[in-house]
Amino acid sequence: MTYLILGILPYFTVLIFIGAMVQRLYVWSKTPQPGAMTLTPAPDGESATFFGVIKDSFLFPGLFKSDRTLWIFAWFFHVTFALIIIGHIRVFTDFPRLWAALGINADRMSAVSGGTAGVIILACAIALFVRRFMLKRVREVSGVPDYFALLLILAVVVSGNIMRFDEHFDLAITRTYFQQLFTFSLSSASMPQNLLFTTHFLLGQVLIMIIPFSKIMHLGGIFFTQALIQKA
Amino acid sequence: MEHAEAAKPIAKKKKPADDLKPKMTGQQLTQEVKDAILAIDKGPRVLKLYMDMCARCGTCAEVCPVYWGEPTELRNPAIRSDLVRSVFKKHKTTSGKLLGGLVGAKDYDGDIQKFVDAFYECTGCRRCATFCPMGIDNSVITRKGRAIADKLGYTPERLQRVIQISLETGNTDGANQAALKETVRFLEEEIKDDCGVDVKIPYDVVGADVFFVPPSGDLLVNPEAVMGIAKVFHKMGISWTLSSKAFDGANYGLFTGDDKSMKEDNKLYVEEAKRFGVKTMMMGECGHAHRIMKFIMEKAGWWGNLPFEITNVLQYTAKLVEDDALKFDKSKNPDPVTYHDPCNFGRSCGIIEEPRIIMKAACADFREMTPNRQYNWCCGGGGGLSAMDEILEFRMNVSGRKKLSQIDDTGAVFCAAPCSNCKRHLGQLMEYHKRDVEIGGVHDMVFRAIVL
Repeated sequence: MTYLILGILPYFTVLIFIGAMVQRLYVWSKTPQPGAMTLTPAPDGESATFFGVIKDSFLFPGLFKSDRTLWIFAWFFHVTFALIIIGHIRVFTDFPRLWAALGINADRMSAVSGGTAGVIILACAIALFVRRFMLKRVREVSGVPDYFALLLILAVVVSGNIMRFDEHFDLAITRTYFQQLFTFSLSSASMPQNLLFTTHFLLGQVLIMIIPFSKIMHLGGIFFTQALIQKA
Repeated sequence: MEHAEAAKPIAKKKKPADDLKPKMTGQQLTQEVKDAILAIDKGPRVLKLYMDMCARCGTCAEVCPVYWGEPTELRNPAIRSDLVRSVFKKHKTTSGKLLGGLVGAKDYDGDIQKFVDAFYECTGCRRCATFCPMGIDNSVITRKGRAIADKLGYTPERLQRVIQISLETGNTDGANQAALKETVRFLEEEIKDDCGVDVKIPYDVVGADVFFVPPSGDLLVNPEAVMGIAKVFHKMGISWTLSSKAFDGANYGLFTGDDKSMKEDNKLYVEEAKRFGVKTMMMGECGHAHRIMKFIMEKAGWWGNLPFEITNVLQYTAKLVEDDALKFDKSKNPDPVTYHDPCNFGRSCGIIEEPRIIMKAACADFREMTPNRQYNWCCGGGGGLSAMDEILEFRMNVSGRKKLSQIDDTGAVFCAAPCSNCKRHLGQLMEYHKRDVEIGGVHDMVFRAIVL
């Protein structure tokens, strides 16, 4: 079972994610759009439109104006999510010379920034979950996929946080493991023997795999929908 | 304005009900609705994206005037859009095919009346698109839903008749050429009585520079704006003309989702502009007419390259104000006035500052609504709802409630709304709720204050 999750599944995860993601973005880009859908006032000119799309996709100004509470939870949720994904690079590899050149104690920095991000995203995800059934207008539009996506993310976050805060986990082990995984030379001896890690990794893979088939696909579609209303 | 009613020689044609499109029923109807929804798979891109992109955050409901008025589940924009979306999901998405109802995928339930009523409770104001973090414009789904209903004969009777009348007579009021000519003579006399100056309202002038296209309501029902515009043209010595055949930019195909009739209705206007040989087609105080001419017809090139430019009279007069070409006696408009942004001008045509420039120049006490500009709330009668008196209670007590409180908060006694639909709906709203607020156009203020 562990071998399945750690030795085989990752390859499928990557294939499914990239394949389905590319397919969906390709289909969207190829679907014809006769006529402009411009919402005014719209940015003037191509570069202004480009920056407008980037601004709206990354800062959510509409939410900021209409629902400040939701903006706080949603924005910090997405930003910490992105930071955590970037931070996971240290699970795969490390840059000791870079840290030395910058004079940074990487382990300490990672503990502080990663730990903070883990707490913020946990709080935001819980708030977003509670909001789903507390507010009438949100309860009405919430279904199984909405609760499921949040619960799955919560499970990934919680298992990750436990590894960071409770039973500390040696990243040297994962670096060896992933290096072998990437080079298709995995030996069972290098597989992390840690139930918490296996759980976290499995949940993470499920999350990655369902992205192209779920509402989380908005991470790719938002640039299309924003461009539609901002292009003159 | 009593004189306006007197100047309304309209020959409304009564038609038997069997003149309407036949209503499809039963299994065939269910199949047609389903097929039309599944065809979204082939495009347009905007609809295909909207089938997948909703994050279910509830923001659209928060900013929707209808949901604000009375929050029932089907008035939640995301749920209304699900009437189309859930059917698409069921057949065209991986998750919908595998998991069905669990992910909100459902087959069309055959309840066409629920479908029609729901999409005719959306005013298509696009306010949700302004705030949605994804930029989803539910009005696009609404128009698709209405287009499906239209094909099957379920467009509300009142709107079907407006379209018939407009295609037959060239205007949505069903007035004939004689009525237009009589109205114009009457308005010229009114202006003369008002200020003692001979201001002409020319029509059918081949060789004029400007072809002016008002909504017919601004000639027949609320003519003060057109009289104000005539004064501006007179002051500037512009060579302009109306058409006695084409004096109504209103085009209800935009509302019913019927692209074919929208194009057909539009044709006469472009032909008239070409016949007159004008340099400019200037649209009047009518947001959706301007949107169709400038942002749909011209952009899509329905009639090829046009030998004239399309502008709006609000842009024209605002420019004159900025250039200091007009003089106003603000003491003629001493009372507090406010401006309502018609959705089509504000969110679809970007004509936002121009009316304010004019109002501030012509009025002593101009007050903004909160919020305003592209964030302004819909009057509650958008998307053709204004013409539907069978839903008057809904418009007065649900969709129009937010606008009522916005107007109340300004303390204004005059509210300018450069749109015949807004004007009709807001006029009814003020009367229904016994408010002493006059509803008119932007150039009404110009008419009263301009110094010739």
